[in-house]
Amino acid sequence: MNTTKTLKPLGGGLLALAVALATQTAQAAPEAEQIIQNNCLACHTQEGDNQWSRISHQRKSPEGWLMTIARMQVMHGLQISDEDRRTLVKYLSDRQGLAPSETEGVRYALERRLNTSEAFDSQAFTEMCARCHSGARVMLQRRPASEWEHLVHFHLGQWPTTEFQALARDRDWLDLALNEMVPELAEMLPMDSKAWNEWQQQAEAPVDGDWTLAGHMPGKGAFHARMQVTPAQGDDQYRLTLTGEYDDGSALKGEGQAVVYTGYEWRANIEIDGQVMRQVFALKDGQLSGRMFLRDKDEVGADVVAARDAKGASRILALQPAYIKAGTEAEISIVGTGLSGMPVLGAGVDVIEVISESPDLIRVRARAAEDASGVVTASVGTAEGGRFAVYDRVANVKVVPEFAVARVGGNGSSTPRVEARFEAEAWAVGADGKAGTADDYRIGMMPATWSVAPFDAVAEADRDVHFTGRMNSSTGVFTPAAAGPNPERRMMTNNAGNLKVQAQVQDGGETHNAEGQMIVTVQRWNNPPIP
Amino acid sequence: MDKKRLTALMPTAALVLGSAISTSVLAQGPALVEGNEYMLVANYPNSMHVIDLQTDTLYKSCELPDAFGPGVTQMAPDGKTAYILNNHYEDIYGVNLDNCEVTFHASMSLQQNERTKSIFSFAISADGDEIYAVQNPTMLYRDHYRVQPARLAVYDTSAGLDAKPVRTFPSPRQVTVMQTGDDGTLYMAGADIYKVDVNTGEVDVAIPSRNWDRPLYAPPDVLNAWPIQSPSKDFTILYTTAKFQDESYDLNTADWIYGFMNVNLETGETETTDFGPITEIYFSGMRSPKDPNLVFGVLNRLAKYDIEKKELVGAAELDHSYYCIAMNHDGSKVYLGGTFNDVAIYDADSMEKLGNIQLPGGDMAISTSQVFMR
Repeated sequence: MNTTKTLKPLGGGLLALAVALATQTAQAAPEAEQIIQNNCLACHTQEGDNQWSRISHQRKSPEGWLMTIARMQVMHGLQISDEDRRTLVKYLSDRQGLAPSETEGVRYALERRLNTSEAFDSQAFTEMCARCHSGARVMLQRRPASEWEHLVHFHLGQWPTTEFQALARDRDWLDLALNEMVPELAEMLPMDSKAWNEWQQQAEAPVDGDWTLAGHMPGKGAFHARMQVTPAQGDDQYRLTLTGEYDDGSALKGEGQAVVYTGYEWRANIEIDGQVMRQVFALKDGQLSGRMFLRDKDEVGADVVAARDAKGASRILALQPAYIKAGTEAEISIVGTGLSGMPVLGAGVDVIEVISESPDLIRVRARAAEDASGVVTASVGTAEGGRFAVYDRVANVKVVPEFAVARVGGNGSSTPRVEARFEAEAWAVGADGKAGTADDYRIGMMPATWSVAPFDAVAEADRDVHFTGRMNSSTGVFTPAAAGPNPERRMMTNNAGNLKVQAQVQDGGETHNAEGQMIVTVQRWNNPPIP
Repeated sequence: MDKKRLTALMPTAALVLGSAISTSVLAQGPALVEGNEYMLVANYPNSMHVIDLQTDTLYKSCELPDAFGPGVTQMAPDGKTAYILNNHYEDIYGVNLDNCEVTFHASMSLQQNERTKSIFSFAISADGDEIYAVQNPTMLYRDHYRVQPARLAVYDTSAGLDAKPVRTFPSPRQVTVMQTGDDGTLYMAGADIYKVDVNTGEVDVAIPSRNWDRPLYAPPDVLNAWPIQSPSKDFTILYTTAKFQDESYDLNTADWIYGFMNVNLETGETETTDFGPITEIYFSGMRSPKDPNLVFGVLNRLAKYDIEKKELVGAAELDHSYYCIAMNHDGSKVYLGGTFNDVAIYDADSMEKLGNIQLPGGDMAISTSQVFMR
């Protein structure tokens, strides 16, 4: 992290480690500063000791810095090696990053959750900034007013049609941008913040060691894994090995590398079955959480939480499956770290057999009483956690995500197809027996039979179901059709369309139907790390 | 066209033809015939095509310098010189269609570290002596950009290949399409439809648009990228708006309306007229030269409205989207261009399709098509 950071008084061991890390950083910083001197000063001005015009007046995420340097390469003729670029991203993210709290609520963009529907309080912000790219891209930056002003001039100078587009051509765009948006951004997203100042005082949290991961991948299911993290050459660099399995018994195994930016932004690439999976996690309180996804097909991914083995620490990360039906028995895995003691699943659920037991995984056979109902918290010894639902019947089902975008691709085009992946989320009524009230509770994702249908009369007339792609009836994964104008379609249009996504869930003798919406659309031509 | 095949043929052609006729003469094609009606279109990679409207066939093609885009065109009143905004919105070229020679070129950036673009906004004076362009300059400093005020630049059409403005004036921002009146007035579409004295730079409002005062109407949305020089000398700008039922201004019960603002370029008379409910979007539209009570619009269908009755009176399904509409001088045919590389022809009365004209090269994209008499 920051070389100027002052450390809190620490115990001997930790202090030694912190000093060691600080020393590493101290070696890396001059290298990065030299790269800036050599590569950036043709345009940027030295403003003082390791201070440069523009560069030193912004804070952003690692992906944000990467995009900035990549833009310098693409638009402004910067020549830089990949290795030097990595060094700069690390240096700038550490020196001018974001505090964890400054990324809260917008991490979906870093985690490549591209089906997120954004909503912001400020209509001006939504119409000015989130009109063309995600609002998160802006929310993940901090600048003083003068730098936000530069950004306005850059936008209109680089994309002169900005002020002619819808939601711009009906207003005095430049005046609003400079005189209203700039002050709003400078206040909302300031360069100087208490959160950042405080974060820079924090000691580095250790990451090397052994971790347990628990995750869930739409279209595939839950998994748990162990991850070994060992220091590698370089500042905050690590080697990883991952060994685990999905709940269908298939293996999850790979090796890779990780970098920790800004003291908490964990980024790793792990090769699994010949494909690279990327981890975008945040480190907080000894846990990593975020999303792990295929680097080259990022709609395929899993929500992940992980905890590090530490002496005396005991945590429950997840229960898999995370629900049980009243009056039935099921095998449940409790995933965590340092697990020791009696597993207890909560009121109305008896553990009738411990099938296997280790510090990171306990398998039990459980029975739920006929009258059990609600969400319970499990415990193992002193550890409490993991959400576990007991239900007597499914009251209703929701399609998740409720709205998704798939994209045509392939067919010789530069852009691959983008799948949409759906899950059926079951809900139970609470004690009041009524659906749609405050005590309704989420049971969890249940197997469903999937299909698509025309969303409206236009979709029906244009035969969108036939042309846009195929839904896998058992996995809920929709694979879109090929890109390009289709001579078989009305007006030779692309294989785009508007579909209802239908899930059918069986619960005992009852059938529940749920519906979502999917737009199958054209390729995303411009696909930077932060959308 | 198969590029490989063309390349393979070229040496043979050179051998056969020898030095008697150079390939550039071949590319120039025949001169236009005085009194004939033509249509001008532009497309990728960077060509201008002249279509003979007597026969509805491709008459000739001219290759253009630099890069294509947006391909906004204006025909000079001489019926011979075509002007095009190209090279990524940064340059205006004049082309003699008789011999494909570039006779005028203005690079709109005036300083080395200035980048200036015109967003569809240029026009030619009624006498053909001057070109007007609203320009959006940005200064590219070492580590930052500074957007400069918009300016109206005036060029002398006889200035040749390194034309510089003879006059410049401050201009409102957000100006797109423009046309000139017979009296020399420049009309330009921006927040309002402005009326500009090209000698003094004085800007007045000809038709209020964003600032219109129409009780119970929402401010209009106006998109216009196609400065169509219509045979009837109408400068027509489509708008969409909402008309509320009452002072509660409830959008849920409002009527959604299509209309046009219009300047009669011969008389300077203006109007703002609703012509029908919004049922679909049109990228461009024009009034019939034959019957000014009819307005046509195009994007995913070709539609015809009776303005007085505010009624859709005809529609044609299209093979694909077309962006830019044009009509011949007698108002009997509609020509659809923009997107892909074919021009579709429709009978203006029956709305029946009459045929297609295929163009060599690629997409017309957002290029303007113009019908003119040589």
